[in-house]
Amino acid sequence: MLIVDNIHAGYGTSEVLQGASLQVQAGKVVALIGANGAGKTTTMRAISGMIKPAKGRVLLNGKPVQGYGASRIAKLGLAHAPEGRKVFGPLSVEDNLLLGAYNHLPLFFGFRSKAAHDLEKIYDIFPRLRERRQQSAGTLSGGEQQMLAIGRALMANPKVILLDEPSMGLAPVIVQEVFNIIRRLKEAGTTLLLVEQFAKSALEVADYAYVMEHGRIAIEGTPAELHKDERMLAAYLG
Amino acid sequence: MLKRLLFIRGAELIALAILATIPLTVSNTYVLGLLTLLAIYGILLIGLDVTVGYLGQVNLAHAAFLGLGAYAAGLSVSLLGFGMLGALAVSMAIGLILGGLLAFPALRLEGPQFALATLSFSALSTTVLNEWEGLTSGAQGLSITRPELFGFPLKAQGFYWLCLIMLVLVWLAMRNLLSSQWGRAFEALRDSPIATDAMGVGTYRHKVAGFAFGSSLGGLAGGLYAFNFQYLQPQSFTYDLMVILLLGVVLGGRKSLWGAFFGATLIVLLPNLLSNRLLFEIISALGLLLAIFAGAQGLKNKTTQPFQAIAPVIAMGMLVVGGYMVENTENWRKAIFALMLFSVVVGLPDGVMGFTARYLTRLFRIAPPDLPPASALDEVLPAQQADSKPMLELKDLKRYFGGVKAVDGISMTVRTGQIHGLIGPNGSGKSTAVNVISGLYAPTSGDILLQGKSLPKGSLFKVARTGVSRTFQNLQLFGELSALDNVMLALKGVYRSSLPLVLLGFARAEEKRAQADALALLELVGLQHMARVHARDLTYGSQRFLEIARALACKPKLLILDEPAAGLAHPDVNVLVEIIKRIHQRGVTIILIEHHMDVVSTLCDVVTVLDGGLVIAEGTTEEVKRNPLVIKAYLGIADDTEVPDVIPAVI
Amino acid sequence: MNSTIIAQMVVSGALMGLVYALIAYGFQLTFATSKSINFGQGELVMLSAFFSLSLLNWGVPYWLMIPGGLLFGVVLGLVVERACVRLTLEQKSEGWILLTIIFGLLGFSAAENIWGRDDRPFPTPIPTEAMQFFGVSITPLEISVALGVLLVMGVIELFKRKTLLGKAFEAVSADRDAAELMGISARHTIMLSYGLSGLVAAMAGILISPITTVGPTMASALILKAFSVAVVAGLDSGFGVVLVGIFLGALESLTSFYLGSGWREAPGLILLIMALAVRPNGVFGKASIRKV
Repeated sequence: MLIVDNIHAGYGTSEVLQGASLQVQAGKVVALIGANGAGKTTTMRAISGMIKPAKGRVLLNGKPVQGYGASRIAKLGLAHAPEGRKVFGPLSVEDNLLLGAYNHLPLFFGFRSKAAHDLEKIYDIFPRLRERRQQSAGTLSGGEQQMLAIGRALMANPKVILLDEPSMGLAPVIVQEVFNIIRRLKEAGTTLLLVEQFAKSALEVADYAYVMEHGRIAIEGTPAELHKDERMLAAYLG
Repeated sequence: MLKRLLFIRGAELIALAILATIPLTVSNTYVLGLLTLLAIYGILLIGLDVTVGYLGQVNLAHAAFLGLGAYAAGLSVSLLGFGMLGALAVSMAIGLILGGLLAFPALRLEGPQFALATLSFSALSTTVLNEWEGLTSGAQGLSITRPELFGFPLKAQGFYWLCLIMLVLVWLAMRNLLSSQWGRAFEALRDSPIATDAMGVGTYRHKVAGFAFGSSLGGLAGGLYAFNFQYLQPQSFTYDLMVILLLGVVLGGRKSLWGAFFGATLIVLLPNLLSNRLLFEIISALGLLLAIFAGAQGLKNKTTQPFQAIAPVIAMGMLVVGGYMVENTENWRKAIFALMLFSVVVGLPDGVMGFTARYLTRLFRIAPPDLPPASALDEVLPAQQADSKPMLELKDLKRYFGGVKAVDGISMTVRTGQIHGLIGPNGSGKSTAVNVISGLYAPTSGDILLQGKSLPKGSLFKVARTGVSRTFQNLQLFGELSALDNVMLALKGVYRSSLPLVLLGFARAEEKRAQADALALLELVGLQHMARVHARDLTYGSQRFLEIARALACKPKLLILDEPAAGLAHPDVNVLVEIIKRIHQRGVTIILIEHHMDVVSTLCDVVTVLDGGLVIAEGTTEEVKRNPLVIKAYLGIADDTEVPDVIPAVI
Repeated sequence: MNSTIIAQMVVSGALMGLVYALIAYGFQLTFATSKSINFGQGELVMLSAFFSLSLLNWGVPYWLMIPGGLLFGVVLGLVVERACVRLTLEQKSEGWILLTIIFGLLGFSAAENIWGRDDRPFPTPIPTEAMQFFGVSITPLEISVALGVLLVMGVIELFKRKTLLGKAFEAVSADRDAAELMGISARHTIMLSYGLSGLVAAMAGILISPITTVGPTMASALILKAFSVAVVAGLDSGFGVVLVGIFLGALESLTSFYLGSGWREAPGLILLIMALAVRPNGVFGKASIRKV
């Protein structure tokens, strides 16, 4: 569903990604783990078009999308819940969710009724969001904002979801909750690329995983293989 | 070195000699008038370049300062009986004072609001000049007599030489200013106001001073303007003139004395260019050719975007075609200015002189001046006593952003001479804590004590002044400045000369000293050979090290390193560890935020672990690594069955 | 007697102030999406007014002239975005300030030469006979100006709150990157904001012209006050501009009554500089958080 092939990208003088390649099959959860500064978030940003890759290819459903703007890639069915959540603070929770489905809804009238069904589905997954649907997103707690960011990505009904550090800055209990949701999404057959600093939790939910080091993929394999892999220990534990 | 002197000073001397001798050979009063105007506009544009070029702000009040200076000079002669120099001093003072008063509120703003404030100021000053009829005679205009200079009446020729002398003085003063700490501060402000404040240099102070200085030159030019024309009207100093002045600065080239001079020449000659049909057609055709050539060149080298190449061609094309279609080009004066200005702003952002200067430097291979030998490190960064007394104490520090409790009550103590590690998972509040300590954010509640005294809150500048210096996770270097200048800018305790001395060129010795000291710090981080390289052209690793050297230049008691190893390649990480050890040996207290656990283990005496904005553990690295709470926080697991004994080396 | 005159001054000033508010509202629209404003907006007002007058002269009926004039404003707004704003925003520079000033200058010169330098009357079917309310005389024309201003602002606000496109507009102002990730093109949103801003300017031109007449300099005083209103209220203050606009309009008509008409510009300018000194983000604006 998503293929990243030998991608190079960076900011200014620093080339963070130096030829990373990975694949996400339809219906699978793939984890991307690695040390801080290894280039996980940069990979996500290069895939979704937030930065332009200097070299390499990104294929979404077989179609090359590298070099496209982020909004164009989003229209093609990629949803990216970015690092730091980035909810629309001044807008209400419901408006945030509606904007998640921006590509599918009529721009002027009737979008609310058309989205009602999907909204209900999201509210069923995240009952807290239903309670706070009229509240402005900026006043939510960190955990609730993360739920909103995931919900907003789901609203797009995307082919692939990129989930960047959903556990960042959250209390352990909430982190558990987030991973439970990821598990539920997996059961529902969602295609997911997950960046996580909590390698252990990430490997528990993932079907397949890549370990990044210095802007490249150092190791890859199923979680079971990675647990056995000597190199994994060497790479990941320094 | 000699070549440099010869070329740069030589060009200045030749230009001066030509300008000074023209009146002796040509007796045409019209030419003399143009030359006088050239000198006046030269001063005016050099002043405008301070704000537009160096401070990088769109200043729309400069024409107003010209007018205010002109009226002030004229009135001080007619009402107070001042002589020439006295009147000029008054006009400068008016520019300085009003410029300062305007800058005071206006420069807290950035970009558009600043432009709006200056626009309002100029409209307001036109209103006052028009309506205060008792003083200015309003719209009727004010006649002025040219006063005597030391008892000698000045004829046109003498007055021209006076203007030329003024231009030379302004030129020299400006050169001294720009090659001093002030000039560096001006440029730094534009690249990163945050870092300028964090280095204790004071964004605001320098901005206000720069603006007031530029405005005083506007006032001075106004004084000369008044005595040149000997008749003033408020409507001469409106928005229209302002646009022409901007055209001069931008077309000539920002951040360049020669650029301002070239711009002035252009402004003076423009009316002639427009009134002569043939000349206008030649100029516009040349402009079109230049636009096509520069655009094609830029596209070929991929340095410009298509729009940048095409738009000037369209604009100049309009000029050429329009030139054939309209009957009277003078009626379309403003449109012609607009099209020319548009082409330059879009297609040639460095202006004509910026372009030429770069070309000439390359052509003649003019080397930058030599550097003095580095100072001894002991002089630059004297060893501090490491007595383990509390250096920094945080007391229940909190900072919330909306509903997010980024820092939710941190208490900790950092002891003198130690390296204190601050670790925790992403989003645990480390960076926010550091941003609160260093004054970028004001705390929501809680106290910060440095050596027992309360630290200023919410001001990077004030905190930096008390001896806390920091680096940034996302680099905040002054990209347009060289590595050396980056360090020199932050250097504390070297610059003692007051502004007037700097302008007179008496700050050269301390400038040399500053260079030597800065070199010592560059040596400490291994960048002494990169001193002249622009910060933005350094490799990523070198940029990180440069930030450390810059932070040390503030001679801090407490140095905060915010993820210095982030994004570094492995060999560079080792270099970094060495650098930090060397700094530690000088007795500087260090707070180190880091994700590389091996770096933390090697360096830190004490480690504090944050999670969810709270301190969850504190102790030596070994103790912390075995703390179950820490392991849980790092691995994000709640099933207690399988807690490893040690957290991984790299998280 | 005296109090009636003051009331009269306040009311007619306040009506004028609504027009300032409308133009200031146009600044807010583009500032929200792109943190940029069109410094040549006054020329947009003036050019649209001239164009609308030409439409009338060509025999276009009054009520058809309005959409025509508005469309012209939209087109000009889009041209400004393309020629003066887009490139510099991509370069993250503030070159757009200079470029929009230049565009204004070009527009001014063009108008001077195409339509002439003289002020011309702008016909209107709305009656101009004054009506008396408690001793204060108001013309239906003035009322139509007030209604027109509130109507345009109301419709645009409704659009922003009630349609998905409008919400996308708000999303881009809140977080441009995140909006892009939702498939909302920031570039198109900025174009939309400039188009709307041009429409607002054209509306201001059409509304005010029957009162002030049409001429190349008609907007130069107007725009300064609109700047003042926008900055004093805050460039992100929403309806704050209406209150500040009314206040400033009333204040300046009192000033010109007591100090002479030459001083009528002064209160707005002084207010602007003072507001900047005390509250740089405006009376109704929000403070922004610095990030590193």
